[in-house]
Amino acid sequence: MKRVSLMAAMLVYVGLSACSHSQIFPQEVMEGVDPNFDFSRWRMLPNQAAGKTIQLGGRIIQSESREGSTTIAVAQLPIVEHPAYGPKDMGKRSDEFAVSYQGKIDSAFLQRGNRIIVVGTTRPAMLVSIDDVPHSLPTVSAKCVHIWMTGGRDIADFPSFGAGYETLEEQTFCASPQ
Amino acid sequence: MRSLRVLVCSALAVTLILMQSSPSMAESTIKNPSPANMRALVAQKADDASVTPQGPSPARELPPGGTAIEDLLLQKGTITMDEWIQIRAEQEYRAADQARRLDSIEEWKYKTELLPMLRDKVNFGLNALQFLYGHIDAHVPEGRSQDSFSIRRSELLFWGKISDVIPRWHALMEFQSINLTNNTPTVGASTPTATTFFRETYLDIRPVQSWAPNLNHFRLGIFRMPFGIFTETSGGLRDVISSPYLTSIGGGGGPGQNAKGTGGAIEFIQERDYFVDVRGKIFNRLEYVAGMMNNNNFQANALVSTTSGLGGANQPKAFYSRVRLFGSDVSFVSFTTIQGESNNAGTLINGRGKGVFDRYAIDFRYTSKIFPGFMVQGEWWQGHDGANATTVGTAANGACQVIALCGGSGAPGMQRRTYYVLAKYLFTDGPLENFEPTFMWEQFDPNTTMSNDLYTRTIVGLTYYFENFPPKIQSKVQINYEFRHHQGLGTGPGTPAFDSRTDPFAQNAVFVQFQVRFM
Repeated sequence: MKRVSLMAAMLVYVGLSACSHSQIFPQEVMEGVDPNFDFSRWRMLPNQAAGKTIQLGGRIIQSESREGSTTIAVAQLPIVEHPAYGPKDMGKRSDEFAVSYQGKIDSAFLQRGNRIIVVGTTRPAMLVSIDDVPHSLPTVSAKCVHIWMTGGRDIADFPSFGAGYETLEEQTFCASPQ
Repeated sequence: MRSLRVLVCSALAVTLILMQSSPSMAESTIKNPSPANMRALVAQKADDASVTPQGPSPARELPPGGTAIEDLLLQKGTITMDEWIQIRAEQEYRAADQARRLDSIEEWKYKTELLPMLRDKVNFGLNALQFLYGHIDAHVPEGRSQDSFSIRRSELLFWGKISDVIPRWHALMEFQSINLTNNTPTVGASTPTATTFFRETYLDIRPVQSWAPNLNHFRLGIFRMPFGIFTETSGGLRDVISSPYLTSIGGGGGPGQNAKGTGGAIEFIQERDYFVDVRGKIFNRLEYVAGMMNNNNFQANALVSTTSGLGGANQPKAFYSRVRLFGSDVSFVSFTTIQGESNNAGTLINGRGKGVFDRYAIDFRYTSKIFPGFMVQGEWWQGHDGANATTVGTAANGACQVIALCGGSGAPGMQRRTYYVLAKYLFTDGPLENFEPTFMWEQFDPNTTMSNDLYTRTIVGLTYYFENFPPKIQSKVQINYEFRHHQGLGTGPGTPAFDSRTDPFAQNAVFVQFQVRFM
């Protein structure tokens, strides 16, 4: 009986653990994140929500590294739990925002199409040049970013990318405290 | 176009008539060209249907203050009313034309948005196009050369996503796959049977979205089998040119099969097969796959009767499973097993006998984050092949070891073992940027109870990447030198004579391969 209870407890634990995705950012980074943040409204009125702690996901459009800081233009995508945790392309047109990260990120991770989740605070809009056209984009000052090197594909497309098995490289980068 | 002209002319004519018939009005309009009056004047009237054009408003740039230049000129008397009307007519014509063009573009946009390729339903790419030069020191028959040029792979890949429930379909064509494979008859001579132009075709089914990734999907079809690492690595992403011994060794002009089970071609594990399996990942760390396969290689489809469904393709099925534990996102250790029975009659896999068939494997890969660019991986495999193992095309039927009765090699069932270690380092900056030295060492023991039968190989390679954005893009040139050694065919009475000079697996080789991959 004791053994059965132990096994049942283990199964419940496995089930519960399996159903929750692993935490990609440290707990202290996630503190104060607004779960009901309205991206569309912020996109329209970027200067009215400055200083909010938010989490956003998306697809990298363009990036620029300069003097120890990195600016990333991102097309916003919803963050989903299934079929794989992370930003997922729903096939709809998405709005852009900018990520300002104080630190250096390996250029391979900044390739166009890679998936990204950023946690940080909102800032007034900044001018970002995308394909040589200046855009005024609402900006997140990043505390941490997590990047999946999907190269334009969805996270769930891995590991069955191409004609074989491909592990999906991913990494978290956190800005050094100011 | 003609109707538009008629309309423009009509509008001009009506305006002129009106101006002539009521000069006071025209005069007052000219003398008092207030904006309100200006707005009332329309130089041309398009068809009623185009009253509400789509797209942006007509491209008429108004200067600060909202007065157009022609209005000012008219006000100052620089231009006449006729000229003003002409200018306005041209402007309105241009606006109507622009609206029409925008409508056309909208229409095309609607059409192109429905194209399967733009909806991720159909994609295609070049999995690998490889041109190979090889030189092997082994003696060759008259009329042949030790040097060879060949197309190693010419693989086009097609894939797409139908829906969330069918997240992927996949087909890979190997265009250099033109050689017919012999079948393995029960008696008598074999005949060239068939090969398949397609190498991979499968579809994934994800029945419940919320179960993924824990139960990610079911996969049905033919594909690279989830056996260790090398088997599942696409030919376009491999770090060395030759296939590892664990997938293919022996034959090629070397010693043939023998009663000790140490000679002839052996495919210890096949790269592809027909299967149904289930795959998933739990805890984001533990990946699993479990399924059932035909166990008769990628050509097996050619042997199935499409009407009765019966044929030589259906070997006794085998169960397989792999569990992969991730230490990081790109480093792991995994355990694989294959369990079942094999048959020699009708087989399309070299070195299989009749009887119990099993494989056990452990593999690992370490991709360094501390020392970026460095990767090391290895695999260790062991397993039994049934009695009377044969090479494809040699008649065989049964497990008895009397060749006159059962054909085959006459060898008892044996345990085989193989392992390899591969390491590489990619220079990411400096003068050696994009160069990647590679080292691989491997050993294959065709019969673990027999000594003096080991195959060993050391590969020293250098790769230069022209473009390297794996897994999508990889254009490279590779040069590999292989130090090959084959001890012999065993020991004891009845051991066949071994001549290493004609055995390509006992002679060093060099390969140079140029590859393009884009998807």
